[in-house]
Amino acid sequence: MIQAILAMVVKEFHQIRRDRFTLRLIFIAPVMQMMVLAYAISTDVKYVYTAVYDYDQCELSREFVRSMSAGDYFIPSHSPVSLLDSEENLRTGDKNVNLIIPRGFSEGLRNSKPVIIGFVADGANANSASIATGYANLIAFQFSERLSGSSFPVVLRQRILYNPEGESVYHIVPGIVVILLTMVTALLTAMAIVRERERGTLEQLMVSPIPVPALILGKIIPFAVLGYIEFSIALALGIVWFKIPFVGSWFLLYGLSLLFVLTTLGVGMLISTMTSTQQQAMFFTWFFTIYAILMSGFFIPIENMPPIVRWFTYLNPVRYFMTIVRGIMMKGAGLESLRTEVLALVIFGVSMFSLSWIRFRKRVR
Amino acid sequence: MSKVRFIIAKEFRHILRDPKSLAVAIAMPLLMTLLYGYAVNLDTKNIKLAVVDEDKTAYSRALVNSFYQSGYFIPSRSAPRLSDLEAVLRAGHAHAVLVLRRGFSEAVRTQEPFQVGLIVDGSDANRAAAATNYSNVLLFDFIRRNTSTQTLRPRVWISPRVLYNPDLRSPDFFVPGLIAIILMMISALLTSITIVREKETGTMEQLMTAPVTPREIIAGKVIPYIGIAFLDGLLVILFAVFHFRVPFEGSYLLLALFGAIYVTAALSIGVLVSTLVRNQLAAMMTTLMVTVMPSVMLSGFIFEIKNMPLPLQYLSMIIPARHFIVILRGVMLKGVGAPAVWHQTLALVLLTAVLLGIAAKRFKLRLG
Repeated sequence: MIQAILAMVVKEFHQIRRDRFTLRLIFIAPVMQMMVLAYAISTDVKYVYTAVYDYDQCELSREFVRSMSAGDYFIPSHSPVSLLDSEENLRTGDKNVNLIIPRGFSEGLRNSKPVIIGFVADGANANSASIATGYANLIAFQFSERLSGSSFPVVLRQRILYNPEGESVYHIVPGIVVILLTMVTALLTAMAIVRERERGTLEQLMVSPIPVPALILGKIIPFAVLGYIEFSIALALGIVWFKIPFVGSWFLLYGLSLLFVLTTLGVGMLISTMTSTQQQAMFFTWFFTIYAILMSGFFIPIENMPPIVRWFTYLNPVRYFMTIVRGIMMKGAGLESLRTEVLALVIFGVSMFSLSWIRFRKRVR
Repeated sequence: MSKVRFIIAKEFRHILRDPKSLAVAIAMPLLMTLLYGYAVNLDTKNIKLAVVDEDKTAYSRALVNSFYQSGYFIPSRSAPRLSDLEAVLRAGHAHAVLVLRRGFSEAVRTQEPFQVGLIVDGSDANRAAAATNYSNVLLFDFIRRNTSTQTLRPRVWISPRVLYNPDLRSPDFFVPGLIAIILMMISALLTSITIVREKETGTMEQLMTAPVTPREIIAGKVIPYIGIAFLDGLLVILFAVFHFRVPFEGSYLLLALFGAIYVTAALSIGVLVSTLVRNQLAAMMTTLMVTVMPSVMLSGFIFEIKNMPLPLQYLSMIIPARHFIVILRGVMLKGVGAPAVWHQTLALVLLTAVLLGIAAKRFKLRLG
């Protein structure tokens, strides 16, 4: 039995090695993905180009504009005071926000009357627009506070744990590591099995004296190994290049990823039993991957989703593993705090793996 | 031309004979629209807040209530232990802990300096920043309502007005980008795979010995996928307009015209990839890497290009989706015509011409 498995594993590795181009892709693709994704994914809102229409033209209004430009947030530039074209610049996308300071701004302030500043935002990017509005409110509030000369008695003192510099790569890179492991194990397994079926070599293997369990294990072990190598490369890159802190236990991380890989290999096998061509296998895996990535909390926060949609995320194994990897890497979470996630992975792993095993045996017979 | 028709008919028969793949090709855009439409909301809301209230007065309870009623914070499912405040953050049961020490209500009444504590899980930087900002504003608001002093006048008010997508709904933002991604995915991926499959199974040689030119083979193989891509694009638009009520302000005809240019670029990439690789797995992975990933990540679909490092910003210029998405958003949400987006139009046409040229040249070389 062990010998049969070994023979299968060796055969599979030969096949993988012989296809140089694909092999190179398997290793280059994740590195490239990591580099591009980590730099591209930033949900921070910065550089809001702001056209200022200053009808007041006095020291106070200029000071307000200066306080807007503190930080990388708003990039104000003065525009000639003719409101005729004020919406054209948003239409073409030259500016993101129009700020309109009304005549009588400073006089109102001196007489302690509330004054209203116009703020017109391009809502085509809903996220940026609402954050920009929030920031503008905050700036106006601080400006008022400074003008009145009295600082507020009760203040908030915040302490930010785990990632005090507020780097979004710290959040994204562990996520990419998870996505890579998911894609490699599920996709390559499904494709490898279906390719043998498409070419008819699966039939040959079945009539050979290799027992079915050895056949299955021999087919999936190499991809588990490849997945692990890729996982490690991505982790190393994250730690060395992106300087992601790793405060948890390596042993726990690798142990739990084995549990997770059980699920994804199961998904790959299950897909291979439902399809007969590589194109179908690819499409099915992809369908799974899109669902798995979007609903995992990778870059779309789960807590923002409506309750019904959130319910679907509980059916997503990647969701739990995402929490585990982020928890271990950044917060040093142990088994104690990850109980729920580990339990979910055990249920997914065992049920997915046995289901696909049963279906595979049925198809082979 | 009639020869092209035969190849188209053959290709269509291939497609129809594989109903599973066809089903996914049609179901995938719908799944993506549904998921993005309902799930994607980058606005930070429902931050899980745990509270340590040592003050235990009407004031402290009112403050906590105002946090929960703001819509930004929800109660966490477990209460923090005083001995280990961070445990709830480590386990992910809360995103932030609000600490109200004894004397809070006293300070509100007497205007004595006082510090309210907030411990934030910073692992998601975006959420941490939002939690801090919201807390500041809510606390400020609470104090202002509960003190009689006139310390905070004069006050500057912001009166926000949002154009084009006044309710700040995310479907309006995502759908145009989604169309670009789905068109790219279907056209580039299906083309490269179908051509490589013919190479893999050896039927490409048979086609080559038939009395058709390489150009006719390509046209015949590619046209059916233009059909599928347009069908998918139409499905997404219909779904978005009727289900998610995304406005469509501009001209359908103009959009179809731009779509045709864009799909030509996507198909050229597909053909180009097919000349580089030998098997379907490699074709798929290469296409994913050069089309789908950049179209999702570097096109401004979700992540703003101006926030990226400069090299990536330059790289994004050669990605057709980047230009097409600007055009799509302009035409769909703002109802602009071609003149308003002439920059993007020019870039898209240039890119398409270059890609088509290279693809045509490489394909001839391979067959010759």
